[in-house]
Amino acid sequence: MMDKAVEPILEIENLNISFFVRAGEIPAVMDFSCKVMPGETMGLVGESGCGKSTVALGIMRDMGNRGKIVGGKIKFKGRDMGEMSDEELRDIRGSKIAMIYQEPMASLNPAMKIGKQLMEVPLIHEQVSEQEAYDRSLAMLHSVKLPDPARIMDAYPHQISGGQQQRIVIAMALLSKPDLLLLDEPTTALDVTVEAGIVELVKELGRETGTSMLFISHNLGLILETCDRITVMYSGEAVETGTVHEVFDQMRHPYTQGLFNSIPLPGADKNSRPLISIRGQLPLPMERPHGCNFGPRCDHYVESICNAHAVPMNEVSGQPDHRSRCMRIKDIDWEAEPERRLVEDPAAPGDVVLDIRDLKKYYDVAANKIFGGGDTRTVKANETVSFQARESETVAIVGESGCGKSTLAKVLLGLETATSGSVELRGKDIGDTEVNDRTKKTVASVQMVFQNPFDTLNPSHTVGSQIIRTLEKFGIGETTTDRTNRMLELLDLVKLPRAFADRMPRQLSGGQKQRIGVARAFAGQPQVVVADEPVSALDVSVQAAVTELLMDIQREAKTTMLFISHDLSVVRYIADRVVVMYLGHIVEQGTTDQIFSPPYHPYTEALLSAIPIADTSVQKKHIVLDGDIPSALNPPSGCPFQTRCPRKSMVEGTLCETDVPPVRDLSNGHQVKCHLAQSVLDAMEPVIVLGEKPATATSKTAKPKAVKAPAKKTKAPAKKLTAVEKAVPLSSARSRATVKKATPKAATRAKAKAATPAKAKSTAAAPKKDNAPPKMRKPTKPDDLKMISGVGPKIEGILNGLGVYKFEQIAKWKKAERAWVDDHLSFKGRIDREDWVKQAKALAKGR
Amino acid sequence: MERLGGFEIFAQIMGQFLPVWIGLIVILAASFYFRRNLGLYGKLFDSPIGMVGLVLVLFWVLTAIFADQIATFDALDQLSGMKNKKPGWPVRDQEGLHYLLGGDNLARDVFSRMVYGSREVLIIAPAATLFAFMVGITLGLPAGFRGGRTDTILTFVANLVLAFPVILLFFLLVTPEIRADGEVYQLWGGQQWVASVPNIMALVLFLFPIIFFVVLWVSRYSTQPGKLAIFMAITLLIGGWAYIGLVFNADPFGVLYMDPNLLNIFVSVVFVNSPTVFRIVRGVTVDIKTRDYVAAAQTRGERPWYIMLWEILPNARGPLIVDFCLRIGYTTILLGTLGFFGLGVSPESPNWGQTINEGRKLLSLYPHLALPPALALMSLVLGLNLLADGLREESLKD
Repeated sequence: MMDKAVEPILEIENLNISFFVRAGEIPAVMDFSCKVMPGETMGLVGESGCGKSTVALGIMRDMGNRGKIVGGKIKFKGRDMGEMSDEELRDIRGSKIAMIYQEPMASLNPAMKIGKQLMEVPLIHEQVSEQEAYDRSLAMLHSVKLPDPARIMDAYPHQISGGQQQRIVIAMALLSKPDLLLLDEPTTALDVTVEAGIVELVKELGRETGTSMLFISHNLGLILETCDRITVMYSGEAVETGTVHEVFDQMRHPYTQGLFNSIPLPGADKNSRPLISIRGQLPLPMERPHGCNFGPRCDHYVESICNAHAVPMNEVSGQPDHRSRCMRIKDIDWEAEPERRLVEDPAAPGDVVLDIRDLKKYYDVAANKIFGGGDTRTVKANETVSFQARESETVAIVGESGCGKSTLAKVLLGLETATSGSVELRGKDIGDTEVNDRTKKTVASVQMVFQNPFDTLNPSHTVGSQIIRTLEKFGIGETTTDRTNRMLELLDLVKLPRAFADRMPRQLSGGQKQRIGVARAFAGQPQVVVADEPVSALDVSVQAAVTELLMDIQREAKTTMLFISHDLSVVRYIADRVVVMYLGHIVEQGTTDQIFSPPYHPYTEALLSAIPIADTSVQKKHIVLDGDIPSALNPPSGCPFQTRCPRKSMVEGTLCETDVPPVRDLSNGHQVKCHLAQSVLDAMEPVIVLGEKPATATSKTAKPKAVKAPAKKTKAPAKKLTAVEKAVPLSSARSRATVKKATPKAATRAKAKAATPAKAKSTAAAPKKDNAPPKMRKPTKPDDLKMISGVGPKIEGILNGLGVYKFEQIAKWKKAERAWVDDHLSFKGRIDREDWVKQAKALAKGR
Repeated sequence: MERLGGFEIFAQIMGQFLPVWIGLIVILAASFYFRRNLGLYGKLFDSPIGMVGLVLVLFWVLTAIFADQIATFDALDQLSGMKNKKPGWPVRDQEGLHYLLGGDNLARDVFSRMVYGSREVLIIAPAATLFAFMVGITLGLPAGFRGGRTDTILTFVANLVLAFPVILLFFLLVTPEIRADGEVYQLWGGQQWVASVPNIMALVLFLFPIIFFVVLWVSRYSTQPGKLAIFMAITLLIGGWAYIGLVFNADPFGVLYMDPNLLNIFVSVVFVNSPTVFRIVRGVTVDIKTRDYVAAAQTRGERPWYIMLWEILPNARGPLIVDFCLRIGYTTILLGTLGFFGLGVSPESPNWGQTINEGRKLLSLYPHLALPPALALMSLVLGLNLLADGLREESLKD
């Protein structure tokens, strides 16, 4: 694939990054290695807290005063960045390596015109003339496809939309013609159709300029679309790396497999092929298990193999670029179809529960609040919204930000009242009744699950008391004991231990909080539950579990669920019927099958093509929408979608610009609001085609290998040697026993490493030597001191240098020794080594 | 008898503060031992700045509590021959007794007056701040939560009060003419109440704590009538009793009583402090009301006051606690300033501000008159500021 002679742009070798806090050392990245070749895009994927952003910050050498690179090398174009002076680093940052962050507004200076900010880059890094800088900036704005660049040069960041802001940030990053571009979740804050545009742009620019990229994301689909190679990270370690096709089609790590099983790919079905969640949750950095970090959550875990010692990156046989941090690559049957919990009795939709007819919600925005003068403008948040939802049915409401789906939810819940039209709950109109005027029963029967798990529970009250209060308001239970019992039952229902009742929300993880949110919504046997993107803020491995839980409870209780989302892959998986909204209008509605197969509304078509899908066998039609969603304050005339519609030219005359399209029934309730002629609709092709899983994937990659075989063979031994060498510092840190097997060169290196802290000790500790903890000679089987939280590879090295190898030694430390150690480690601030001693006692006893 | 030397004075003062040292050690040791269960207060022990602040504040609080044991003389005792005497001067005719920090121009003991002065300051300042908070919270929550016209009007009024020069306002409020001017109402038992401006203000401002607690209980326990009745009864009894005693000066038991002079000062301090508290509460409320848990409360049918007091207020406590500490500091200075202008409480009161003012006149001749209360005031305000800093710092960490 690539010429090995070419020097990589970025080479990271066994990188270890730790953060030093009051409790001690917290390793954030451990033994991370990767290479980025010229013109290549490397994807870094993982859940929150896995250390992927720390790697990027490590490359920029910008980790604040607490973070420190404690081991390994980062080589940029063959030069070790650790040896560069601050001045050289400053010069490289922003000119040779540029970074693009998640939040565009946070990367732009709000008080400075965009043109000036852009011009700064060539002015500072290349000292060009003002005119030259202006011309270059303008040209760059052209190439990031911004409309009217001259006007934008003269605008302030807040005057343009989020998508445009991100384009500006990209332009700024590219202005310095960097060799390496770091993109840290560059599209997470954007809408799907805008995201698609940015991704397209990034790919195109990568092709044109040949810039290497490191693309950090939690979204596997996005990685598939943008990257050549991928590294999957879990809990501070890279667990699998290889080309995108190798990893996606022949994953060789249980975590990667678990991730793919927990995201709704086309073909997943809530009844016949449900998602499989990864059990448990991400270990905290100070509570990582011994051996394989993924061990406790892994289905293939084998005692004394997986937890024997730290797992190195092992090569997957037959694929030289593909490596996995799994002990059992050869033992696991990777093709085995995992066991799924099939649903035998899918609930059939019953009577109509919710009937919304011609609902309109307008807001008046007065120009002047105090005196009421000025012109009043109207925001049309919902325009003639009509749909029905039946018992035990899941209706998905799909749309991007500003489409009016949240307003719709507010009207249903009674937080707002409808301007006109009706909302009937089992025949009773509730559209005009505020929540405070509704009966207890009505309030209890329309409930909501909120999006942000960190915001859904009041941080000041215990979990139990919040549920009890809900029961109180719904008039459930006579006495406090009744309600407490009911609350505990609800905790059982959402599969949380009863002890959680006394916890404060901050002690719960995101997924657990969301479960409490579900329990609260289902407390009063609701008829309708509005779920507003209930899993979008959760980590991928937790999402599946919460989704399944939500569906289970819904099926049991025969509740109607309105599932608000912008993610069509989740919608396809969970929904029975789909309502697509755009700028307050329902542009299309129908059953899930009707929506996901042609004919489409042009907006649905674009939305479908914009969703990144993490499946190599899927063929997608490529539709990228121009521009951004218009403001609801100033909607376009006629069809709301006409400003961005790719099929507008297919309608004769100016019909789209003058008339709002009528609602047309295509077949059995499949409604579309569009002017397109029936013939055009009929001629539409499906956007997503599910191809055969390329069984030839192996042979495809195998073939070029066969051709190149002679060249490879000569390289292979050399490569293996480096692999062994690379593994050495790691194993020397983890278990001394393996050092002896290593090459002599590595062994001396390891010794030297151990010797330096010892030397440092002898000078620093000379005056107070009497308090130093008792030493011992290195035993044949030293304990893994890193199992004590607060001890990372670096501190372990220092401790070993002090002759401390066993838990028992630490367990015996008295106050004087603890103080001495604190002093010796010379941390800033006050630290308690007491905790280490306690842990060491427990660990020593536990064996 | 000999005058005491510098070291002896120091040693004796330290000895006099013995109850304070014991108290400090007990409190700090206990809090340090249980610090993991004490929430934000416990976390304070991780911040050196906060610790210094806490020790300073605790020192003066304990001094106020044990003032009777610490002070060597009464605050108003005048002993012959002790006028303007230097620190450590022996008391005539009384073996072994000294004016540790000298005597003032009326031959009173400066040290004892400083000790008793802490009582004046530490009762009025926190109490006035607390009342200001009740007013600010009760008005700030609805302004921030409801927005619209309520917000516009309340904010306008608050700005109006803030725009008025504080000292001028005080001069106005404590002017004898204004204090005596107004219709006279006959109360029970031959008591009288004058409808003067400060009195009417007291009538209004002192109502806020009662309103605050009544709303607090009603919003929370309306679903549990039994509990509600108990809480309401307690609030109304204590609140009503305090209200009658403090506002009308007509406590039937004769226990609660506020000097008219003090009442004026108190009311004025509450009046000028509450708009600032109002603005803080309003700002925090505007921020918190957008949270999902507020929406969740609304969707389960909670009334606005429940949401304000039980969902929003507890989460606004961080900035409010910090501001409370700072505000006690401001109020202490304000009381000192008032005393300095002769607007304080009764003229012979050992209040620090007033003592500084009296000492000022003789500063060049006898610096020992003004220095002790000045240092006391400084250290208390410094302590409160450091405490607030520490609390703010620690509340941001988690």
